[in-house]
Amino acid sequence: MNRVSVKVMNAWLSLGPRFMPFADAATPDLPLSRLLRLSLIQVSVGMSLVLLIGTLNRVMIVELDVPASLVGVMISLPLLFAPFRALIGFRSDAHKSVLGWKRVPFIYRGTMVQFGGLAIMPFALLVLSGGGNSGQLSTWIGQAAAAVAFLLVGAGLHTTQTIGLALATDLATQEAKPKVVGLMYVMLLIGTMGSALLFGVLLSEFSPGRLVQVIQGTAVLTIILNAVALWKQEARGSSTSQSNTQRRPTFSQSWSQFIQEGQALRRLIVVGLGTMAFSMEDVLLEPYGGAVLHLSVADTTKLTATLAIGGLFGFGLASRLLSRGADPFRMACMGALVGIPAFSAVITAGFATSAILFGSGTFLIGFGAGLFGHGTLTATMMLAPRGQTGLALGAWGAVQATTAGFAIALGGIIRDLVASNLQSNLLGYASGYDAVYGLEIVLLLVTIISMLPLLGHIGQKVDALS
Amino acid sequence: MSDDPNRVWPTGLTIAESEELHKHVIDGARVFFLISVFAHLLAYAYSPWLH
Repeated sequence: MNRVSVKVMNAWLSLGPRFMPFADAATPDLPLSRLLRLSLIQVSVGMSLVLLIGTLNRVMIVELDVPASLVGVMISLPLLFAPFRALIGFRSDAHKSVLGWKRVPFIYRGTMVQFGGLAIMPFALLVLSGGGNSGQLSTWIGQAAAAVAFLLVGAGLHTTQTIGLALATDLATQEAKPKVVGLMYVMLLIGTMGSALLFGVLLSEFSPGRLVQVIQGTAVLTIILNAVALWKQEARGSSTSQSNTQRRPTFSQSWSQFIQEGQALRRLIVVGLGTMAFSMEDVLLEPYGGAVLHLSVADTTKLTATLAIGGLFGFGLASRLLSRGADPFRMACMGALVGIPAFSAVITAGFATSAILFGSGTFLIGFGAGLFGHGTLTATMMLAPRGQTGLALGAWGAVQATTAGFAIALGGIIRDLVASNLQSNLLGYASGYDAVYGLEIVLLLVTIISMLPLLGHIGQKVDALS
Repeated sequence: MSDDPNRVWPTGLTIAESEELHKHVIDGARVFFLISVFAHLLAYAYSPWLH
């Protein structure tokens, strides 16, 4: 072999492992750069969420003339997949791999599914609207295609988010977990807010071609973000290899073991109740501002930003206090406590026709929800039993996503029912909204009462687990 | 690890490990193919041959 060949050969040898997607070794500390990279999964999740719930919701109704009821059904389809997050988490925990991976294959498949859904979505929506030549086809073709696209995106984003959070839990030390949770939440918020603004600008001059470009661009960006997030994150050897003949527990065995330990059921109930309490007003704040407080469209749009800024402050404070050793459940309890004056302020703002009081209430709702969300997720990560991290994070995500979706729908239904029955009373048009906000205060009180037995217990549990 | 005779360099993977990695790549390619077929069928339904 001549000297040049030897040099080339040596270059290949030195390059080899660099082009393999595994981490060199499980390092004890997780540098911020690596953590930031991992949190890009949350940006892609936020992007898909805002596309489904916000942008496409409007595009289908306004630009594509799809009936609102059909749009409602399509948008709720991804939620059908939310309860399966616990199963996905379990499958990942129990995954057998020669390479020794248990998280990467799931995030890879989840990303592919999410990409697939987004790639076919624009065409499915155009066929659903009966545009072009598709008007000659049966309507079920468009409906089925759109349903498949929405289901795929839902399945993909629930998988990548669940396993992404499980991977973050695997990588972070107990002390670093509050910061990881804070970062994950902030990145989700950046993903949703940033892409909402971007989609708004890109789709301001709507055309079918532009719709294809925007949604398929999102699909490509999803793959890029998740690939960057995942590259060299999981060390080899975290999973059991196929040669291990030890029998793995079934999902029901694993679930019953998980639910019996550390008041897991109570923790999940608290997450569900608190999430419901902080989600019911989600689609009602803007119409309330417009109809009761007579705010302009521009002003009510600012409410979303106010809510998000409140959330950012909540995540920031929670990260700071929890990384100094505060009890996550005490933090979640504080969040629920902040929610009570927040909703009271929103109700009072209606009587006093005070936009400032309404804005302050909205900010406090975001702040309280931030504290509550951060506290409960940090607790879930800290208490995740060894070998059941995926299941624990999956159960948290399943309860959180399902109850949030259910609460948003329920909030709208309650508002309509109360408003149609109590139109002539003193409260007038505000009665429907006030009923929902009042119910949220009650739910927050129930959440706090259910959480009391959990206060202070986390320190002992974490000590026992570590 | 470097003195394991079953490992093939420069990647340092065994045959079984490289087969698993290859399976992921092939599965990905299959999913891509199915997605593109589905997307093309829908694009054809909307505008046959872009007319």
